[in-house]
Amino acid sequence: MGVREAAAPARLHEPRGDRLLREVEQFEQALDHQNRRNTTLGRLAFAAAFLLLWEVASGRVLDQFFVSKPSHIIAALWAMVFKEQLFYHLQFTIIEALTGYLIGAVAGLAVGFVLARSDAVYRIVEPFVVAFYGIPRIALAPLFILWFGLGITSKIAVAAIMVFFIVFINTVAGIRSAPVQLLQVSRVMGASHWDLVRKVTFPAATPFIIAALQITVPQAMIGAIVGEFISSNRGVGHLISRAAGWLDTPGLFAGILTLLVVVLVMNLGITSLGNYLMRWNPKRSNMRDLQ
Amino acid sequence: MEPVIVARDVYKVFVAQGDRDRRRAFLALQDVSLAIGAGRFVSFVGPSGCGKSTLLNMVAGLVRPTEGEIRYKGTPVAGVNTDVGYITQDDNLLPWRTLRENVELALEFRGVPRTTRRELSTKYIRMVGLTGFDHHYPHELSGGMRKRVSLIRTLIYDPDIILMDEPFGPLDAQTRVILQDELLKLWEGTGKTVVFVTHDLVEAIALSDEIALFSRAPGKIKHVYEVPLERPRDVFRIHAHPNFPAFYDRLWRDLKEEIVAVELGVG
Repeated sequence: MGVREAAAPARLHEPRGDRLLREVEQFEQALDHQNRRNTTLGRLAFAAAFLLLWEVASGRVLDQFFVSKPSHIIAALWAMVFKEQLFYHLQFTIIEALTGYLIGAVAGLAVGFVLARSDAVYRIVEPFVVAFYGIPRIALAPLFILWFGLGITSKIAVAAIMVFFIVFINTVAGIRSAPVQLLQVSRVMGASHWDLVRKVTFPAATPFIIAALQITVPQAMIGAIVGEFISSNRGVGHLISRAAGWLDTPGLFAGILTLLVVVLVMNLGITSLGNYLMRWNPKRSNMRDLQ
Repeated sequence: MEPVIVARDVYKVFVAQGDRDRRRAFLALQDVSLAIGAGRFVSFVGPSGCGKSTLLNMVAGLVRPTEGEIRYKGTPVAGVNTDVGYITQDDNLLPWRTLRENVELALEFRGVPRTTRRELSTKYIRMVGLTGFDHHYPHELSGGMRKRVSLIRTLIYDPDIILMDEPFGPLDAQTRVILQDELLKLWEGTGKTVVFVTHDLVEAIALSDEIALFSRAPGKIKHVYEVPLERPRDVFRIHAHPNFPAFYDRLWRDLKEEIVAVELGVG
């Protein structure tokens, strides 16, 4: 035994267990770092390959009239920013989508919470909710334009209705998923009704609510854009439908690219909010060994 | 000694849910009468499905008797009884709260100010040796640790009665005995009444002053035994107590009749 201990040189500086801990920690950190870097590099390579292929194939294998090419799209985007006041139009689209999203989400949450409180009421309205949910909601857009006019109100309404049902249905499902035993134990511990909602029911429903809030970000954008397609003289949807009228493929792609970036940014915000609210959830922690 | 819980001629009928056209009612408890003295540690044992947990839930006010009544400190239990602490087989910790936040939950419900909450939770967390795990979420704790948390989050609001429904059921044999020992040490001298449901006769003997044996369903109380072991007890060596073997045999003989009847489908 004594020979072995003497043979391990690190033993002179620190106990073997401590050294092992430190080494494993360092190894894991390096591995994490490397994984993250590889993912980023991989993404960049994928994007570059895709764009390069597009650029090269367009005009040779594919008809440039239909697919355009990245360099032309960048030029069209440049022209849009300066000649067609892209940011002026973008501001309307973002306001419509964002306002619609907020109204739809808040209304969905509120109605969900109220309805989920009473089993009897929920049983009565459930088939109607399902029926309304079944309507392709985008088909309501012309109706909303009739009701709310050609301005941004009708687009906000379309965006809101796109968001509302999904958030509402998920909220109800989430609230009904709260384990009965947790509610019972909390009641015995002296929780008031408001305590239960705030500290038990709502957190239990967050996974469902967060999922709905993530799914509905692009939905709100669809609502706003379709509203603009149907009738508008402002907004990115208007720019896109005008480019289509002129058979301006690069302009079309430039409009689509703009929307893609906006939805990505909105999604990023919602995802980080979701990760913060769900930090207690074991599924979200990094458990490499289990994969 | 003043009885703190009294059950008088309690009957409970449950209706099976789910089948729409044919509702089936069945009798879970019949003619149960029982008095539990203040400060006593009382265990309920009996075959599965004999209504032990139902009676416990009635004391907590979560289930109402179909007939008869449960009195708590002289008044009938109507609605949830917030004077009791309630610990079940599942630890029922809120997964979105850290250990400390879970321990402080009941104090929050009761409007205890933040600094007092902090002091109390620190004290109780130290008592069960969980200092340093304050910020861990339940999924980051072992089964034994979670059970300790569920124990202290109940003790912290100082309920007069603690109802425990097979609290150590899902634990491994070793952790189980260690927690039984901790429970006794936390309980002794507090004067609290404990009602403890278990399937484990050794556990019942090691912990209780009295044991109520339930008959097979529909449950009735067959007999109430006084445990002939003095306190303080050494749960690790409870078998070695001179009174243990005879008492265990007697309890097991009485329980066996009920279990055998269930297994053979008699009655």
